[in-house]
Amino acid sequence: MESFGARARAGCTLAPCHTRRVSPTPAQPRSRAVLGIGRQQWTDAWAGCKAISPLMVGSAMFGLAFGALVNVAGINPWAGASASVIVVAGASQFAMVEAIRANAPAIIAILTAVLINARFALYSAALAPVWAAFPLRWKLLLGYLMTDQAAVTQLQWADRYPDPVARRWFALGGAFPFVAVWVVGTVVGIVLGPVIPEAWQIDFIVPLMFIAVLVPGLKKPAELVTVGVATVVVVAARALPFGLNVLLAIVVAMSAGSAFESWSDARAGRRGTPAAASGGDEVSP
Amino acid sequence: MTIWLIIIAAGLGTYLIRLSGILLLRDEERIPVPVRRALRHVGPAAMGAIIASALFLDHGQWRALGAWHLAALVAIGVALWRRSQGWSMLAGGLAFAVLIAAGLS
Repeated sequence: MESFGARARAGCTLAPCHTRRVSPTPAQPRSRAVLGIGRQQWTDAWAGCKAISPLMVGSAMFGLAFGALVNVAGINPWAGASASVIVVAGASQFAMVEAIRANAPAIIAILTAVLINARFALYSAALAPVWAAFPLRWKLLLGYLMTDQAAVTQLQWADRYPDPVARRWFALGGAFPFVAVWVVGTVVGIVLGPVIPEAWQIDFIVPLMFIAVLVPGLKKPAELVTVGVATVVVVAARALPFGLNVLLAIVVAMSAGSAFESWSDARAGRRGTPAAASGGDEVSP
Repeated sequence: MTIWLIIIAAGLGTYLIRLSGILLLRDEERIPVPVRRALRHVGPAAMGAIIASALFLDHGQWRALGAWHLAALVAIGVALWRRSQGWSMLAGGLAFAVLIAAGLS
């Protein structure tokens, strides 16, 4: 990871970097290509894989649990495995299987899944400037591989990868293996069935994974406000159907975090502290 | 047959949602500044909402205090101390396993 320190120290913020056209990495691209992919690209992809690797354990276990559910629900195993490839979103797949199991109309099952996944529109909007310089086929591929974990990891690391070529390989190196272990976990779960006893409550892996994504990077007061508001809203709105309390909580918390940041920036500005010099729209270092 | 219809429709809908922002918001300058500022907080907002939903709720009802909350506290504490994903998951997972084995739920 040390070799990337120099790039990180360049202190490049998101806004100016993605608009600048950076030519592909000049370092000997042809001579040491493996599978037609240059050495530097492998390095960037490997860094992406390492950044998400602790979460891959969670992805595999959650896949195993989904496969086991498909198995006990008596759902066509091919359809169950395909769901992990076609939908690629755990929580919505669990909800779909529950809906099918409860003999809900097809439209309800579809609607449930789509509403649970509506939060991806927010990641997509947040990633738009991060991916702006990527070729269209990369956007289509990385869009397919978008998960909560990969999206948040990419948002956290974007500043350290100002070069769009390095950035897209970093993104793919994290997103692809994460989805791959999810699919493998699903297939193994379908074949083996519920090998993990229900008493073990394997679904604890969900909050655990997201704590591991969120908490190590928590520093700024605005982030604490955002997390606090999200917690209060998701619990207060628990009566909403289709997981809409989660969606509502995300939107309200984003706005609250942003409002708090504006307020604290303005207050710092009045006091003349250096923080105000960073200005409104830049990501503060 | 219906199950395939459900999976394909949900998959297609989800894929379009995933592409929505990256294809429609190609020109960052045209996104209103307040929206842009709010979008920068999507990570903590989404993580916070999903964690709280999983820890405090169970199918729309309150989850009784127990192993989930204690193990989550361990994971959060270790995450703040070590600032590491791996250690946080390991400590939280071990704590949860011990608590479950001790009979908590």
